Amino acid sequence: MTTAVYAPSRPEARVRMLLPWLLLVVLALLPTAGLTPNLIRLFFITFVWVTTSLGWNLLGGFTGQVSFGFAVFYGLGAYTAALMIDRGVNPYLSFVAAGLIPAFASVLIGLPTFRLRGPYFAIATIGVSEATRVIMNNLSITGGASGFRIMEHRPFRQVEHYYTALGLAALAVAVSLLIVHSKFGMGLRAIKQDEEAAADLGVNPYAYKLAIHAVAAALTGMAGGVFARYAAFINPPGVFAFQTSIYILLMPVIGGIGTVWGAVLGGVVFGIVEEQLVANFPQLHLLLYGSLLILIILAEPDGLAGLLGKVFRRLRKPKRTYGNTDSGSGKADEVLRRASGG
Amino acid sequence: MTFVDFLNLLIAALMLAGIYAVMSVGMTVIYGVMKIVNLAHAGFMMMGAYFAYELYQRFQLDPILAALLAFPVFFLAGIAVHWLLVRWLPHSDRPTLQSLLLMFGIWLVLQNVGYLIWGNTDRSILTPRTLSVIHLGEITISSLKLVVFVAAVGCMAVLEIALSRTWFGRSVRALIQNRYAGRIVGVDDEKTARLTFGMGIAFAGVAGALLATLYSFDPDFGRPFLLRAFVIIVLGGLESVSGVALGALVLALVETFSIFLVPADYQPAISFGLLVVALVVLPGGIASLWARRRRLA
Repeated sequence: MTTAVYAPSRPEARVRMLLPWLLLVVLALLPTAGLTPNLIRLFFITFVWVTTSLGWNLLGGFTGQVSFGFAVFYGLGAYTAALMIDRGVNPYLSFVAAGLIPAFASVLIGLPTFRLRGPYFAIATIGVSEATRVIMNNLSITGGASGFRIMEHRPFRQVEHYYTALGLAALAVAVSLLIVHSKFGMGLRAIKQDEEAAADLGVNPYAYKLAIHAVAAALTGMAGGVFARYAAFINPPGVFAFQTSIYILLMPVIGGIGTVWGAVLGGVVFGIVEEQLVANFPQLHLLLYGSLLILIILAEPDGLAGLLGKVFRRLRKPKRTYGNTDSGSGKADEVLRRASGG
Repeated sequence: MTFVDFLNLLIAALMLAGIYAVMSVGMTVIYGVMKIVNLAHAGFMMMGAYFAYELYQRFQLDPILAALLAFPVFFLAGIAVHWLLVRWLPHSDRPTLQSLLLMFGIWLVLQNVGYLIWGNTDRSILTPRTLSVIHLGEITISSLKLVVFVAAVGCMAVLEIALSRTWFGRSVRALIQNRYAGRIVGVDDEKTARLTFGMGIAFAGVAGALLATLYSFDPDFGRPFLLRAFVIIVLGGLESVSGVALGALVLALVETFSIFLVPADYQPAISFGLLVVALVVLPGGIASLWARRRRLA
């Protein structure tokens, strides 16, 4: 009985541990409840987006390296899976390859571009994705601009696709959580905060970035592969589109950059918005995403997850009168830093 | 390749370099003073192109004049955007991800506005000057490109004078060198930043209007040029105007002469290849070859 006295937060922590598993079970049982094919499709797409969002977040959120080039991995994964499935290879084996090839590509891309810091890296990735799309558009193996139709010699079962995508999203969450709570993840966050300081403490920023880039690329590539098998038709202007890179970057930013569940939330919100809302107003989607980005950057840099967190805290402690001292001390720090010529 | 071919290509490259310099210099001054990588530059270039297009369609105004007119219009637009959005960003002496994403958001909005107004069909501006050429013996020069080149060089000259002779220019140079030291000696950094942002956007508008006379455009117009501008800035070192001119010349030469080596389909990949080479071999830009550090002017 004594445990309850000094550990009042334990049950809460236990619930927190259980919640993801509960969510997984519910999602796994969902198709048996007789969802319409349309809803299953919505879930499928959302799982795919959540996976890419988590992948991007590993590099952009935890490590602070914003990339505008994740369409490269998405597209490479899609094409790897498409070409293999079309030749009769087992789809799940193809998905593994759809992770490995983008991971390999990510190392090739990372070797020169990770010599750059912050925004320079970001712009170099725009270049990577432009160049990749140009090359893919001109290769005969991709079907060029007219696209590639995948012939799978199996019956199409939507539920199978649902479970594949769910499994992949769960894998992405698991990988993200493992990395966050590992020493490796701590090194990544150190790089985000101060690269020089991290290097002084024995973290090799270059190697760490290459490693996390590869993991992120593998997840994104597998998502591309899973999507390609479902769509059964892909073309370079579609999967390698700059638009795809934008989407992959937007989701974690919307949800809450640098947190696992923020990235998941961003993927879910984006999936629903993209499928339901934007389908009806296709001419406004850039405006919508652009304004959302501006609003989040200026008003709530921690995204929806940060906003929800604030709301919860306020609901829980309604009588907190001593005010928000954080911003005050932050400003003082800033003044001090500047005064010392920083 | 005969000698005449070589001369023709050389002249074409030089003409290209002029317009490339104008489109990059706006990004450079904004980066120098505010340490913001202005991704929205592409959006404003696109707007500049449609600005010239509309003026030509409605009032038959010469696109070169439209480019001149674009300067004050986009200057005011830039100041408005700075006042509305950019000034709320936290100050930093390093480029921040926040600023990058904010400018990216502005670009998306501009692009969507472009699609809403003009749709996604390609537009182009055809004037009587478009197809006329000047013959100098065996050498031919497109008279349009020549006019654009002269306009571009004029813009660069005006900028150079503004930066070296005026109080505003002196403030800009001071802030580029050291923001805090600049403030200590009485530079109004907020005001300078606002004017600089306006000027950077104004150059984007002018460059867009000039480019619109040479190429067809749609609301996605700026993206390949944004990448080129960035290559040029990296080649030239991130903070100097003369460096920008040099970087523009190098990119234009490489793009023009690479036609002999690379199939035309793969042309857009060249600027990226050059970017990688520049970043790996010359992280300080070409100028670092003969000087430790050459700042603005």
